[in-house]
Amino acid sequence: MPEGVNRRAALLPVLLCCLLAGCGERTAVPSASAGPVGGPGGQERAQQQLLRKGNGAEPESLDPHRTESVAASNIERDLFEGLVLETEDGELVPGAAASWEVSADGLSYRFHMRPDARWSNGDRLTARDFEYSLRRSCDPATLNGYSSILYPILNAEAVVEGRLPPTALGVQALDDATLEIHLSGPTPYFLGLLTHSSAYPVHRPSVERYGEKFARPGNLVSNGAYRLEEWVIQSHIRLLRNRYYRDDAHTSIDEVWYYPIENDDAEVNRYRADELDMTEGVPFRQVRWLREQLLGELRIAPYLGTYYFGFNNTRPPFRDNLPLRLALSMAVDRDILTQRVMGTGEQPAWGFVPPVVNYSGQRPAWADWTQEQRNAEARRLYHEAGYSEQHPLEVELLYNTDQNHKRIAGALAAMWKQTLGVRTKLLNQEWKVFIENRKRRVITQVFRSGWIGDYNDAYTFLQLLHSANGQNDPGYRNPAYDALLDQAAATADPAERRALLEAAERQLLADQPLIPLYFYASKRLVKPWVGGYRPNLMDHHHSKDLYILRH
Amino acid sequence: MLRFTIQRLLTGIPTLLVLIAAAFFLIRAAPGGPFDRERDLPPEIEANLRQAYHLDEPLVRQFGRYLGNLARGDFGPSLQYRDFSVTELIRAGFPVSLRIGALAMLLALLAGVSAGAWAALRQNAASDHLVMAAAMTGISIPNFVMAPLLVLVVAVGLGWLPAGGYGGGAWRHLVLPVITLALPQVAYLARLTRASMIEVLSSPYIRTARAQGLSPGRILLQHALRPALLPVVSYLGPAIAALITGSVVIEQIFGLPGIGRFFVTGALNRDYTLVMGVVVFYGTLILLCNFLVDLVYGLLDPRIRHLP
Amino acid sequence: MSGPLLDVTSLGVRFDTPAGPLQAVRSLDFAVAPGEVLGVVGESGSGKSQAMLALLGLLAANGRASGRALFEGQDLLALDEARLNRVRGSRIAMIFQDPMTSLNPYLAIGAQMALVLRAHRGLRGREAAREAGAMLESVGIPDAGRRLRQYPHELSGGMRQRVMIATALLCRPSLLIADEPTTALDVTVQAQILELMQTLRARFGTAIILITHDLAVVAGLADRLLVMQQGECREAGSPEEIFYAPRERYTRALLAAVPRLDRAGPPAPPLRHAGAAPLLQVRGLRVGYPVLAEGLFGRKRLLRAVEDLSFELAPGEVLGVVGESGCGKSTLGRAVLQLVPASAGSVSFLGRDLGQLERAALDAMRRDLQVVFQDPLASLDPRMTVRDIVAEPLETFEPGMAEAERSNQVAEMLSRVGLDPSHMNRYPHQFSGGQCQRVAIARALITRPKLIVCDEAVSALDVSVRAQILRLLLELRRLLDLSLIFIGHDLAVIRQVSQRVMVMYLGRVMEMAPAGELFGQPRHPYTRALLAAAPVPDPRLERSRPRVGLAGEVPSPLAPPDGCVFRTRCPHAREICAAQVPVLARHGAAEVACHRVAEIQESALESAS
Repeated sequence: MPEGVNRRAALLPVLLCCLLAGCGERTAVPSASAGPVGGPGGQERAQQQLLRKGNGAEPESLDPHRTESVAASNIERDLFEGLVLETEDGELVPGAAASWEVSADGLSYRFHMRPDARWSNGDRLTARDFEYSLRRSCDPATLNGYSSILYPILNAEAVVEGRLPPTALGVQALDDATLEIHLSGPTPYFLGLLTHSSAYPVHRPSVERYGEKFARPGNLVSNGAYRLEEWVIQSHIRLLRNRYYRDDAHTSIDEVWYYPIENDDAEVNRYRADELDMTEGVPFRQVRWLREQLLGELRIAPYLGTYYFGFNNTRPPFRDNLPLRLALSMAVDRDILTQRVMGTGEQPAWGFVPPVVNYSGQRPAWADWTQEQRNAEARRLYHEAGYSEQHPLEVELLYNTDQNHKRIAGALAAMWKQTLGVRTKLLNQEWKVFIENRKRRVITQVFRSGWIGDYNDAYTFLQLLHSANGQNDPGYRNPAYDALLDQAAATADPAERRALLEAAERQLLADQPLIPLYFYASKRLVKPWVGGYRPNLMDHHHSKDLYILRH
Repeated sequence: MLRFTIQRLLTGIPTLLVLIAAAFFLIRAAPGGPFDRERDLPPEIEANLRQAYHLDEPLVRQFGRYLGNLARGDFGPSLQYRDFSVTELIRAGFPVSLRIGALAMLLALLAGVSAGAWAALRQNAASDHLVMAAAMTGISIPNFVMAPLLVLVVAVGLGWLPAGGYGGGAWRHLVLPVITLALPQVAYLARLTRASMIEVLSSPYIRTARAQGLSPGRILLQHALRPALLPVVSYLGPAIAALITGSVVIEQIFGLPGIGRFFVTGALNRDYTLVMGVVVFYGTLILLCNFLVDLVYGLLDPRIRHLP
Repeated sequence: MSGPLLDVTSLGVRFDTPAGPLQAVRSLDFAVAPGEVLGVVGESGSGKSQAMLALLGLLAANGRASGRALFEGQDLLALDEARLNRVRGSRIAMIFQDPMTSLNPYLAIGAQMALVLRAHRGLRGREAAREAGAMLESVGIPDAGRRLRQYPHELSGGMRQRVMIATALLCRPSLLIADEPTTALDVTVQAQILELMQTLRARFGTAIILITHDLAVVAGLADRLLVMQQGECREAGSPEEIFYAPRERYTRALLAAVPRLDRAGPPAPPLRHAGAAPLLQVRGLRVGYPVLAEGLFGRKRLLRAVEDLSFELAPGEVLGVVGESGCGKSTLGRAVLQLVPASAGSVSFLGRDLGQLERAALDAMRRDLQVVFQDPLASLDPRMTVRDIVAEPLETFEPGMAEAERSNQVAEMLSRVGLDPSHMNRYPHQFSGGQCQRVAIARALITRPKLIVCDEAVSALDVSVRAQILRLLLELRRLLDLSLIFIGHDLAVIRQVSQRVMVMYLGRVMEMAPAGELFGQPRHPYTRALLAAAPVPDPRLERSRPRVGLAGEVPSPLAPPDGCVFRTRCPHAREICAAQVPVLARHGAAEVACHRVAEIQESALESAS
């Protein structure tokens, strides 16, 4: 919210006073009066299996082909199930499909449907439903903002761009039980893509009957573990257990309430007042305090994202100025940044790709130096680039208005000042203004950025800096890098592909068109009585895997 | 009186048009658009979206289209909440905002006017100073500070009331938001009433009433209350506007499904139609309320009533 | 006689102020017999009002009364609020100076009267309305049923005071305290109200305490008088004793300060520049204010404040302008000063048409055209020192003047108007009303103007202060060779200062004549009525004088009568008066605008012989 800065600043002393006044004691041992959680054995389930989750923003829709937000996909994960399901361990297991085969060239996938698969209204769920749904997902008339995730499917790009009809999509139901998907190139992470909401099935009769309103309570028919019972916009969304779900026998939670709470302070308050069992996030200022007070309720885990500051490589002073870019990057003490400045569980980043599966994250050699060594080298490079104490670099650091970004930007400016004598001007902008400026690459010099992977694969990160990518905000352009990526995309052999991608990241780090700072961590509060919660890299959670202990 | 009514209503129309035009062009002048986000949409998809919502047309044409739809009572589809029309969203949010706002206004009036009148009758006594000091505090603490403070103490600390949410309008969920929203108005109204009551009580016609041997209670009720309430009534218009702006913050903090929250998220997301819808709706509402306040004022003050 | 109705002994009133206690009334003794009229006379601050307010427990919160006030067997000062409320409004009623603010503007007349009837007589609804209506009729308000539903602002000033009196008399009190009941009223209306009080007293046998600053008002009405000064009784006695044989020096001074309408003032000095070119020439002047009219698309209406007015002013001349409220006299002054635009006609000053002048030229002319307003405190900037206030015109008109020279001139002017120049660094609120008016005069005079418009310049001042200011003005006029346009409603004051007098009514000149001529031999029926209505501070004369009562009040200037504007109140009106607007024509030494002036003159001569 726009007034956030002032509000937070004003709020802090008040919060502190209140916390000191002893409000915290009670919540530190929330179940003190109710006996041990889960009964004497620790695993006794509660009578009422009801889960209340904070969910950030209000979802823009619950039509899986028309949503992009994390908030919507959290709920859709409970409502729908793709052909493939990703477990909390990142393992891909059969979902709506019972099994599948991949052709030797990696270009064809054949899925076998479960004979007992049903929609929440009892209708049978068939391969034809998926054929219809994937076509709908790519149909430009659907206005799916995320359809590009399906581009590996044959003709998908042409369909999305309207050059081919949706029927030309490389998806075909051979019969009710068999679905074939053809790809335009070998895509080792393709199965992972099928866990995305764009690949969820929608119930054709309801879509055709209700049109835009098919995803409303009473209309929505889904195939996941839950069905939509109630949606009071801006208040809550209530899901009830789908008795037709294939694996309903293993579902424990009967009812899930999602609360849209944008303000994370408010969310924590409601959590502490026992109105929520899980939060969506945690205000970063409270992380340390919560970690001490809420004994183990704060769950922090690595998250599939990289936080970085980009250089504008298309304009001076950073264009064709590797020494300067390197100098600024080396002068940042990432340990101090993550541990002292933030202290909220993030890992320092020396490379660009977070720890994804089937990949070794790359590090430049100087990542293993001491910070003193790095500083010395940074100073040398700084002078080499033509700057000095007398003639310091003057640079603008742009970030979107937010306390966390502000703190980090301030820390960077201080480190640069101390080590190199750089004069940094901090500039903050409202979100939409900021992204527009960042994209235009005109007024930016150094800017805050971050990238969250769409799927658990290095490619989702590295492709960002391909010179043809419209979102290459740093404006990085190196033909060698592009060539490595293009080659990797066309390679079916996993080992070979991995080597190509790792080579690409090494090239990227050598060119240092941006300063990787840290890999994200997911943070949320989870009540001790919520069982089955397993933090994971994608931060995806299925309510069906959770249960409520007696408390 | 009828003429006056029609005249006032007619003069509201140009005001509203100016408001609509200003809001329409201002929100579009703000950098960034409804489909700009961290992760870019493929250009073709964005083009599709822009076309679907007529954002590819020249601005003036869009404005004409908007006015045309508005004349038919159609606020258009929300650009952010893609399954909903703006009308649906406002219809869903308004009862909540109205309930909170009306209760807050009622509380503000009851508490503010009685505290102010009470203080005025005890002018310069300790209790007067106490009430006024409390009022000053109420005015000085912004509701985005007051709200979390109340939540921490009453909901998180004491566990008496919920920390947020609407709970379908259950009273337990309304208490804190209503109090927080009303508090600055209570304080302001108390000060206003006190000042105005003191002025009225020192006016010659109150002396006349005392000289006529009327009891203090009768003087207060029959002679003093109505004139003392006039400034209160004329403040109601601004108070309603203040409550509406206040509700934007309150709904956010307490997670209430009201219009104010749509306004904030709408503005941040550049949801043009939603922001416009809220602006037009609230603009009309404020104009109507001001008009009603004028009518009430006329009823209370005979000198206004008989003016042409 | 069973003794006095009210017997007050050693009444004291003290106020606790932040600056310490203030004794407003000291050991005051007086008594009122049943049915008697006691006049209490004094200047502002004499404690006359506070003493009476104390009797009814109406002092401000920081006021304390002491002493004893026996009324119908109980000591008023010892009663608690509840007991007192059974006396107030019931046995003793009180009415105040300004009926507009003393009546609740938010309640209908009937409702206000009903509250009193309900509190004291337990009457409600129709019964109360009947009683209130009857009382309105007996104070001379016709169509009472309709009036009861009206609000104070819908009534004229005189009507409001009648309502006040009617409300006061609802419970047939044995004592009515009237605090300056006619001060805010026009002179013809004042005569009506005084007449009414006289009548009601006779009818109900109510004793009256009449508080006033105006000796003339009580001269004819009071049975006994009490002269107060600085919280003490200076002298008490019958009107004859007080007026004809005052024992106290203060009483004598007070009487001497009262301007006498029935006697010419000190003879005005002859015009020194007789026959010289006129200083000011006003031709066919009209001034109108647009007023928002009724209706959805109604046109604006024009309030004709001044209609077709012409006159000349010779250098050194003092022209008095007199008339009741709404007659346009103040607008005339403002139009001469070009403070309001004329809608027609011209104002020429020193031969130049002010209306045609460029802005800058007009501003330059303003140093010769100055003004003094009624309320001295309100017309002086409270944030400026007296020195800055007086020096301000100099800074405008002589920007090159050295600071020291400017201060010298201010000091000189202050001493000229009778102020201590060493006080020049004080602020207006540190001066009394009279002193503030001296400051305003000093400011007006500092640029050595040729003409000063005095708009009710002495109306807000106490009698004795007023006399001083008038003396000062006349002396300065002589010394500085000033011309004055002296606008006022008080005929006696006008008579004292003016060489020529203009009588206005509803924006038109009724009569214009040399002062002696106008007051000695009034020709226009309106002039005659004004003179007849004005009380004279002479008990015998007042009691014997036939009162030519002028019925009704001034009509709204928004809808003036056709033809002669005065015809609706004129005892001599005929058809012609409604048909034609009379023009100002010369009759002897005077100019008169009346169709019937000749006949009236004849009949007056006949009745005199």
